[in-house]
Amino acid sequence: MPEGSASLNQLAVGDRVVYPNQGVCRVTAIDTKVVAGQSLVFVTMRREEDGAVVMVPEAKVVAIGVRKVANAEDVKSVFAFLRSDGDKADLDWKQRARTNLERMTQGGILGLAEVVKDLQILSELRPLPTKERELYDNARHLLVSEVAAALGTAEVNAEDAIDIVLFPPGRERPKRTAAEFARGEEDDLGLDGDLIGLDGDLDLPSDEEPPAEPAEEENSEEEGSEEESEEKSSDEDAPKKRGRPPKAKPAEAESAEPAAPKKRGRPPKPKPEAPPAGAEPAAPKKRGRPPKAKPPEAEGAEPAAPKKRGRPPKAKPADGGED
Amino acid sequence: MIRIVTLDPFEEKPLAKLKSTLYTAFGVGSEHSGSAEIPPGLGEPLDAEKLLDQVKGIRAYQDDKVLLLTSRKLKERELPSGVAPTPGFARQGKDRAVITLQPHKDLETSFKPVARHALHQLGHLWELHHCLDPRCSMYPPWTPSFNSGEPIFCTFCREKSEQKIRLAKS
Repeated sequence: MPEGSASLNQLAVGDRVVYPNQGVCRVTAIDTKVVAGQSLVFVTMRREEDGAVVMVPEAKVVAIGVRKVANAEDVKSVFAFLRSDGDKADLDWKQRARTNLERMTQGGILGLAEVVKDLQILSELRPLPTKERELYDNARHLLVSEVAAALGTAEVNAEDAIDIVLFPPGRERPKRTAAEFARGEEDDLGLDGDLIGLDGDLDLPSDEEPPAEPAEEENSEEEGSEEESEEKSSDEDAPKKRGRPPKAKPAEAESAEPAAPKKRGRPPKPKPEAPPAGAEPAAPKKRGRPPKAKPPEAEGAEPAAPKKRGRPPKAKPADGGED
Repeated sequence: MIRIVTLDPFEEKPLAKLKSTLYTAFGVGSEHSGSAEIPPGLGEPLDAEKLLDQVKGIRAYQDDKVLLLTSRKLKERELPSGVAPTPGFARQGKDRAVITLQPHKDLETSFKPVARHALHQLGHLWELHHCLDPRCSMYPPWTPSFNSGEPIFCTFCREKSEQKIRLAKS
């Protein structure tokens, strides 16, 4: 049964209750309605923040986790919890999301405080992703409105009361390290590439060095064996390497010149061969449409009349048609 | 619209700069809507909640947010978890906020921290909560680094405030 949930016998019209994930509501009616031929008892609640109305069947009130608003003692225990230095959040985002969802729906006011505190401490390690930031904001809003309702004070005072504990005046927030979030495993910090919750979803190459190419194995084997033994001893101490391993450089021959830097981009156009000495220089290329060829003129013919353009004049009607 | 109402004399130049800073932050026009008198009987330090309730003579439309600016000290609030420093006060989602110049001397030299406090209290009027980002103006205002930041919002708070302003307009 969710923490603090009320039985229907305890609910009366006018009571202030908390609907999980919705906030403080007031019971406006408890009456019987006929739905799909069945007669059911519904509890009608109106959210104080914006007046939204929700109707909950009698059988579901306890299962949903509807509970009475916290009292002053509960609020004191919330402040004490926020002041204390408890367990840090799980770095596995899946586990964290599941835990936070459970706390929001079934944890009561203390569950809300746990979500707020956990995410606030996690934000001191790294910035929260958008979804978790929204969850933090939502949990904060619900906690502030319930504390304000419990203490009978303005929301701004309830928020400042909570923040004086989370952000004590005169002190900056500490910068945390992943080691603080370790869960008692000495060899494994529990990170395993899961800082951004990928958990092997990306198809990255393994952390091991790629095998050397066959042509170069003979040259590098002797050199490599000494390095390998050093590597083995240092590997145990050094932290795991992550990401793509560096590209293996090709072995250079002893007398080879250092390789020229790689050229990039389109190779330059080959220049045409220079003309022999004494020849006329090539005429520059002509560009554009070539001129139209003129029609051949017959000998002694008159020059052609210029072309007439436009619509030909309308033919005049014959004079005999006029009256 | 954001209406700045001064409870004490201030110079016009820094007020004009404050107006343009508020416009840049919220995307809502702002103007200096004159001055008002502090209600009699409110001794120094001023009780911020009573000041918001009792100050009269402010003309504003229903959607407007009023920012009262004073150079006098505001009384610290006694809360269940401790004493809250009060450089400003605003009720969540309501229409009036008050900020003080204290402990600074004048608006021109201490423009940045005062503008940041103004953004913070106006953010509460648009239902923004305190932020986790120290660079954001919605970070808790009693932290040591608050006064040295720029008068801006983080992306998250900016989007939320725009959403609230859009909802209020529709």
